[in-house]
Amino acid sequence: MAARRVGQKAIDWAAFAERVPPNQKSQFNALKSKADALTSRLMSMPEQPKAIDWAHYKKAVPVAGLVDKFQKQFDEVKVPYPLDTASAKIEQQSKEMDTMSADFKKGSEQRIGQYEKEILKFKTMIPFEEMTVEEQEEYFPQMEERKKKYPWWPHYPVWE
Amino acid sequence: MISRLALRNGSILSAAVLRTATPCVAAAPKLLFHTSQQQLMPKKLPEYGGQLRLGLVPEEWFKFFEKKTGVTGPYVFGGGLIMYLLNKEIYIMGPETVHAFVALTLLVYGIKKFGPGIAAWSDKKIQAQLDQANTDKAETMSVLSNAVEEEKKEQWRLEGRHYLFDARKENVAMQMEIEYQERLNKVNEEVKKRLDYQVELDNMHKRLEQSHMVRWIEQNVVKSITPQQEKDILNKCISNLKTMSVA
Repeated sequence: MAARRVGQKAIDWAAFAERVPPNQKSQFNALKSKADALTSRLMSMPEQPKAIDWAHYKKAVPVAGLVDKFQKQFDEVKVPYPLDTASAKIEQQSKEMDTMSADFKKGSEQRIGQYEKEILKFKTMIPFEEMTVEEQEEYFPQMEERKKKYPWWPHYPVWE
Repeated sequence: MISRLALRNGSILSAAVLRTATPCVAAAPKLLFHTSQQQLMPKKLPEYGGQLRLGLVPEEWFKFFEKKTGVTGPYVFGGGLIMYLLNKEIYIMGPETVHAFVALTLLVYGIKKFGPGIAAWSDKKIQAQLDQANTDKAETMSVLSNAVEEEKKEQWRLEGRHYLFDARKENVAMQMEIEYQERLNKVNEEVKKRLDYQVELDNMHKRLEQSHMVRWIEQNVVKSITPQQEKDILNKCISNLKTMSVA
């Protein structure tokens, strides 16, 4: 039981806190305070319940055989360990999270690729000093659309 | 003037031809007047115009003459040409000529006077536009690289999700452990309470019996005392007191 008390895994709260996004800090704090409260409660409990001094009671209680009966029954009582209903749910949530995060990672990699392509485009671009109008239109196709929308120079609604 | 510049530089024209004529250059060399080196596309545009002499005549014309006639040749040719045109009345001096002179003078004066200011002003404008464009570019690049950083950080954060689930599992385990401990304690306490009750019951029996006995004995003793006995005792007490007072 003593092995169980410590828990299967010691959680590195500092490393955990580092990874929490800023908008979920309050939830993290709630979780941490809950865990801390549970830990302190567990720590304050005695390792073993106080054993009953049967010999003393055998002397003290006058009714013959009562203490023996009690002791026998007490030894027979098996205290059931509480049923675990939450772990399965947590496991399932973790699985869901795994798939979700895989999706997110794929999307994120895609986005990173896109951003890096754009950065590369800017890095390899001809300096503005040496750019012709055609080249500018090539690099910034949004100008083309604007030209279609506003065919007259300077191609944006000045009157607005 | 532009076309002259292009011819002088050669490169722009050839570049333009290269761009429009997609077949490779080596296959059609006779089509090109200028067989300069192939220029890669980011080519700086000419910023300054060609050189002039007398403020009017292109330098190249003088160069062309100098090979054949020496340094003075072009001047002689120019002067002679004007003389010839005037002499043969091919060009006729009239009031329009005077007008043209005056107009040209005014034009030149105006350009010399206001030109540099306007040039500086437009240069400033261009520089401002360039600066704007460059800052926009830098900003966009920093925004993009920030976005990449953020994405990477978000991924890193997501990697840490096992901390959350570990913590929650740990919490559940701890809660179960606490519950189990509490149950054990409860059983113990209940048994102990019952045993204590038995002990207490016994104690109380004993106490009650004792007190009852004491009371019973007392009553019996009091009952057994007769009036005669009481009188005797009183008299005895008084005599005792008398003897004590004498002594």
